[in-house]
Amino acid sequence: MASPLLETKLHVPKRRRSLVPRSRLIGRLISGAEAALTLVSAPAGFGKTTLLAEWLATDPACPAAAWLSLDHRENDPALFWTYVIAALQTAIPAVGARALSLVASSQSSMEPIVGTLLNDLHAIPHEAVLVLDDYHVIEAQDVHEGMAYLLAHLPPQMRLVIAGRADPPLPLAGLRARGELVEIRAADLRFTADEAASYLNEVMGLELTPAEVAALEGRTEGWIAALQLAALSMQGRDDITGFIGGFAGDDRYIVDYLVGEVLERQPPEVRTFLLQTSILSRLNGSLCTAVTGQDGGKAMLEALDRANLFLIALDDRRLWYRYHHLFADVLRARLQDEQPDTVHELHVRASDWYEQNGDRPEAIHHALAGEDFGRAAGLIELSIPAMQHARHEATLRRWLEALPEEVFKVRPVLSAGYAGAMMSTGEMEGVEARLQDVERWLETTSEGAGAPSAAMIVVDHARFRTLPASMAMFRAGLARLLGDVPGTMAQARRALELAGADDHLERGGAASLLGLAYWTNGDLDAAHRWYSEGMATLERGGYHADLIAGAVTLADIRIEQGRLRDAMTIYERGLQRAKEQALRGAADMHVGMSVLFRERNDLDAAARHLLASRELGEHAGFSQNPHRWRVAMARVREAEGDLVAAVDLLDEAERLYNGDFSANVRPIPALTARVRIAQGEVGHALAWARERKLSVDDDLSYLHEFEHITLARALLARHTTEPDDRTMHEATRLLERLLTAAEQGGRGGSVIEILALQALAHQARRELPAALASLEKALTLSEPEGYVRAFLDEGPSMVALLRAASHKGVAGGYARHLLSSAGATGGRTPGQRGLVEPLSGRELDVLRLLRTDLSGPDIARELMVSLNTMRTHTKNIFTKLGVNNRRAAVRRAEELGL
Amino acid sequence: MRPHHMAPYLHVMQADDSTEYEIRVKGHLDPRWSAWFDGLSLTKEPDGTTVISGPVVDQAALHGLLQKLRDVGVPLISITQVSRDVA
Repeated sequence: MASPLLETKLHVPKRRRSLVPRSRLIGRLISGAEAALTLVSAPAGFGKTTLLAEWLATDPACPAAAWLSLDHRENDPALFWTYVIAALQTAIPAVGARALSLVASSQSSMEPIVGTLLNDLHAIPHEAVLVLDDYHVIEAQDVHEGMAYLLAHLPPQMRLVIAGRADPPLPLAGLRARGELVEIRAADLRFTADEAASYLNEVMGLELTPAEVAALEGRTEGWIAALQLAALSMQGRDDITGFIGGFAGDDRYIVDYLVGEVLERQPPEVRTFLLQTSILSRLNGSLCTAVTGQDGGKAMLEALDRANLFLIALDDRRLWYRYHHLFADVLRARLQDEQPDTVHELHVRASDWYEQNGDRPEAIHHALAGEDFGRAAGLIELSIPAMQHARHEATLRRWLEALPEEVFKVRPVLSAGYAGAMMSTGEMEGVEARLQDVERWLETTSEGAGAPSAAMIVVDHARFRTLPASMAMFRAGLARLLGDVPGTMAQARRALELAGADDHLERGGAASLLGLAYWTNGDLDAAHRWYSEGMATLERGGYHADLIAGAVTLADIRIEQGRLRDAMTIYERGLQRAKEQALRGAADMHVGMSVLFRERNDLDAAARHLLASRELGEHAGFSQNPHRWRVAMARVREAEGDLVAAVDLLDEAERLYNGDFSANVRPIPALTARVRIAQGEVGHALAWARERKLSVDDDLSYLHEFEHITLARALLARHTTEPDDRTMHEATRLLERLLTAAEQGGRGGSVIEILALQALAHQARRELPAALASLEKALTLSEPEGYVRAFLDEGPSMVALLRAASHKGVAGGYARHLLSSAGATGGRTPGQRGLVEPLSGRELDVLRLLRTDLSGPDIARELMVSLNTMRTHTKNIFTKLGVNNRRAAVRRAEELGL
Repeated sequence: MRPHHMAPYLHVMQADDSTEYEIRVKGHLDPRWSAWFDGLSLTKEPDGTTVISGPVVDQAALHGLLQKLRDVGVPLISITQVSRDVA
């Protein structure tokens, strides 16, 4: 089970019975209504929570208020946003339903979820405030990033209040500069002399002299928790003057001193109760009874509540409490010092109680804290499927990492779960050790048909049964990453044999891996068959996120097969799915569509899709998208005739290259070599071929097909400048062999390209009938799929050949279609090329200054705008020009004559 | 999860490459706090400060210590890395 939501975290804490009025601070909270963020930042015990609760209870104009008390568990982004939405819904029921379903059901990144939530918040008709208390417990960077995003897009009627012991890592300086930040800090919160007097004498009824109040105020420096402890120590004491004298003259850490004083005055059973229950982050009667082993937990809590012993009620019915954090920390330190041997046992009792009461995550937390790793391991093993389903992978990983190595050696299901968790996040280190732990057991029980042997520990028996299939799938995945094709195939086939009909993950994963292995071998038909079967199986199992990542690969396979229309359908479906389910991958689909539009010679649409991809942001794409985007943009620039920009983009792409599981069938250096050829730098391309040790006599393999075709291009290009029969002969012989291999592998895209090159080779040798015969074959294959750039990219000699074909009626219709396309774009020069989106007047101003030596801040001053605004303009300019830096922007603007 | 909560899960490490630190705080901390600060030694100084010193495994552990100080509201005065004598 995943974590049940704790309602108590959403309650505004009850106001204390008697309070020192803090009207100066309340006034600042009320007048800060215009600011997006209010930060209440001070150490423990400065009355942050109390102040906010008082404000919400007394402000007559107080907006709808949502409250969330955070704890360490919300470092899991999925859980954090679930709670934030639940808190908001207590105040504004209409918001967050869709965002919540996204958190629960999908594998998407957090930004679409926050974005969906923001849409709802923009629509609320009234003012509202969200209070996040104890924000300092949040350390997870992805949570902070989500919060920064929320803050940056917060609608004007919404106000955020963050309270904690440390300043949050959010862009505070910018907010401060824009007057969007109200801050209440320790210096503001500490009691003034008047407030201290009012508290000690009026609230606590101590009747102290001004000198005594001054002594206490001076010693505590207005630290409220310390004054409270001091007051508790003095209540009912005869020698108050003596106490104050002793306290003021002592150098000891204040809280330690005072808690000691308070504890000394408690009966032994109360003292023991306080120490033993200090390990709990929340307390109720039954839990305290279980942990202390003494009856009467509930009565004890009520007594402590009455005595005001730093107990905070978490709900109206006073079922759940917590200690004031500062008090709890001091109690725990004392417990560790006085009864170090009992700490683990107390945690184990708490774990037991939580498991019996249906909160498995908290049971795991206490089992780990109590170092009962066997217990923790069993609980974690059972929670793996639910935690994965609920997307609490971050929590799961943290639990697994907290377990000592030995635990995994005897727990195959847990080990396999760990291996799966690591592999799903692309982490390979440590996977092998986990797999070996599992395999040792599978070997010993292989004849036992699924019966665990005595020395091993299995809690989740259903998972144990699928272990052989899972292991084979993991092995296939590892072999794939190591480039071991026969190993991948053998293990994937084994997984398919071992998996049951309903083991969708194992079946789907294995079939996909088998497909990838065939792809690497260049057998595209088998690759497509297996890969699409794998995807269908995963779909049956509900693994939607994997389907979108798979769409990129499946479309790649289709493109290699020369089935561009099928590829387009795959991208369109993928895009729709990613949008509907707020899944990662929409950015990748746009890049894929751009590639296909470019092939159709619709360069505007190609650029538009790249822009759309970039606007979705990095979070909307997989890890390969940054290099794929640049390759696609380079190809568009190349088609537009901007070869310099194309080379720059390819260089960037090469730096960003991320292979993942896919076959690297179009290496970026080979693409660069092709652009070099187009630039007339054939020597460059031939040097590349030498460096890659490519030769016309190589044995052909699919993985080097693109490089070999590039080599043939380089040779043909050299022949045009330095005619030489030997060069031509080598090129044509290589093309002949490449054609046979591509036809055998069902690689339609390569077949068309090779045929076009053969046609050009024949033409160069003035063998027109042979040239037209090759061209006709290429055109016949191209027409149904709409290939255009495959011909236009070949330049003027191809245009001449197409003209000849058109005259002779060879594939006449399609040749004419291509010629008209060539006419439409042939005249385009860099200077006339329009932008997808024109620059605004202001952006042109910024662009003008980007050409100078002025720094960013100087430009901002010159234009009298904020640095932030300037940066936004610059970003837009870069996006519209399709560049990444100032130098490139200036160069591109010159090319465009802007 | 903050190191504070991780602490119970971490096995005590006496790595050889740990670094000695001296953390000076305001007020006298009783030796009982030694267990709370993972066994580091506490020395009360005549100027009313306490020096918490000993080996700290790495930067993450150091930040964990600082958070513990923050959480109990002990004012921090200085942190110094102490070079150890070569044995």
